Amino acid sequence: MKRVLNKNQAAAATVVVFFLLVAAIGVSFYLGSAAIDPSQLFNSDIFWQIRFPRVILAALVGMLLSISGVVLQGVLRNPLADPYILGVSAGGAIGAAIAIAFGVGVVVFGMSSVPALAFLFSLAAVVMVYQLSKVSGRTAPETLVLAGVALSAFCSAILALIIILTGNLASIYFWLLGSLSSASWTQVYTVIPYALIGGGIAYFFSKELNAFLLGEEMALTLGVDVERVKLILIAAASLMTAAAVSVSGLIGFVGLIVPHFIRLLVGSNHRFLIPLSTLTGMLLMVVADAIARTVIAPQEVPIGVVMALVGSPFFLYLLRRRRRGER
Amino acid sequence: MTLQVEKLTCGYDRKKPVSRELTFEVKEGEFVGIVGPNGCGKTTMLRTISGILKPFAGSLSIGGQLVEHLSRQELARKVAFVPQIMEPVEGFTVEDMVMMGRLPYLERFAFETAEDQEAVNWAIEQLRIENLKGRMIDELSGGEFQRVMIARALAQEPKLLLLDEPTSHLDIRYQVKICKLMRRLRSHCSLLATFHDLNLASRFCTRLILMSRGEIVADGAPADVVTAENIWKVYRIKVDVKKSSKNDKVRYVLLP
Repeated sequence: MKRVLNKNQAAAATVVVFFLLVAAIGVSFYLGSAAIDPSQLFNSDIFWQIRFPRVILAALVGMLLSISGVVLQGVLRNPLADPYILGVSAGGAIGAAIAIAFGVGVVVFGMSSVPALAFLFSLAAVVMVYQLSKVSGRTAPETLVLAGVALSAFCSAILALIIILTGNLASIYFWLLGSLSSASWTQVYTVIPYALIGGGIAYFFSKELNAFLLGEEMALTLGVDVERVKLILIAAASLMTAAAVSVSGLIGFVGLIVPHFIRLLVGSNHRFLIPLSTLTGMLLMVVADAIARTVIAPQEVPIGVVMALVGSPFFLYLLRRRRRGER
Repeated sequence: MTLQVEKLTCGYDRKKPVSRELTFEVKEGEFVGIVGPNGCGKTTMLRTISGILKPFAGSLSIGGQLVEHLSRQELARKVAFVPQIMEPVEGFTVEDMVMMGRLPYLERFAFETAEDQEAVNWAIEQLRIENLKGRMIDELSGGEFQRVMIARALAQEPKLLLLDEPTSHLDIRYQVKICKLMRRLRSHCSLLATFHDLNLASRFCTRLILMSRGEIVADGAPADVVTAENIWKVYRIKVDVKKSSKNDKVRYVLLP
């Protein structure tokens, strides 16, 4: 596998993606179901209360998902790892379903009950998966992934039961597809700390993430305190994913595609991989949300549907191109 | 720098240790070969010295410092390990891979310094793989890959280099090449490596340690370790040991 860009080009690409992101944010301010006179944009409530927070939230969710994708793929040494692999999604889905179906009214850190319960259940799921896969103080990545898959299957069964018993298919299903339609400043403020701190932690450990590429034993002999770093990184990635899930539901593919795509471009050095994936994830989400809002306006397509529709074919294309390149 | 191993007991299960009470030294400038049948505990011992496994009992010290008192990073600046089998990696050039050896020296947020680049260039030079520098790691042949992995370990600027069967899976040309290289490296660090090929080991090592069932059976100059009697004792194979008249090197031949 040949990477496309060298170090300087990777730095340049980061700058380019940054400006693309700024441009995309700027353009999507003007897009939406409500027609606003462009000259009056900054005087309208729709802009300040709905569009602005929504675009920012889209960018933040993109950041959260792509960073946790990079981190989990690195720590678990599994190219299939995405932010949902450890059962975050499954737990979150149950939490949201309970909130929607039973109308539970809790408020945590200013979050309404759906995001709050989704967040709590996501974390509970990750803690369970981690504890279940721990064997004599060590966690093998394969066990972790398998435990995540098993718990997810169990959670889907519970979710199906909740849907059947309460008959809330439409609203729960809509949440599962992922959407930013309920974006608000409160949500932006709740996820910002996770995005910044989580991103900081990931970048802080980029040297260790590079060592993990050679396997855990090699990482040990290169001076990495493997078990500790693994725990910190998995915890950070899970918190970031749970935060994203709580405000946007399940948006697939961002955390899987973005890191793979960037790896093809700049190789496996996390010093470049993390910043560039972050910006690309943000850009992708802003664009996808703009499409979701406008393509069949005034109705909205769930952003998860947009991502999967565009994401899956693109991912397959990447995969085939890469396999061909290897021959 | 001297490695001192004292009454080292190690393995995977505390109740059933693989090796018991191993005691030996590797002095500066030595190239010590560990030989013995499959499952005698060679690799386990090497993995324990490298810090991958924790010893169950006994002590390890390097240059007079107890290994348990060193942080992982400090240990990684003294001891480097070349495993027999590496998990497959992709997305790296040969130079990137050798640069990985500089991790124990990298500052948290800093990029590689000129000093790191120098160490990498030196390691690449030592292994004579300048021509591979820009190649992708997953495109290399077995012999090329082994040399890159040794270069990566050398970039760690270790005082002690551990190698687990560095010559297995290689054709005889590369076996000899790698052995000559290891012998040359003695001026930079002590070496401790496991071998299956007794003839190769006794040809190039300065000293041999013969292990059997987790214990050291013989330790000394190759000519004193590779004897018909020892080989019968450990492998249950009848051999004839011949000594070269030119340089005192020994080699065994199977008896018909």
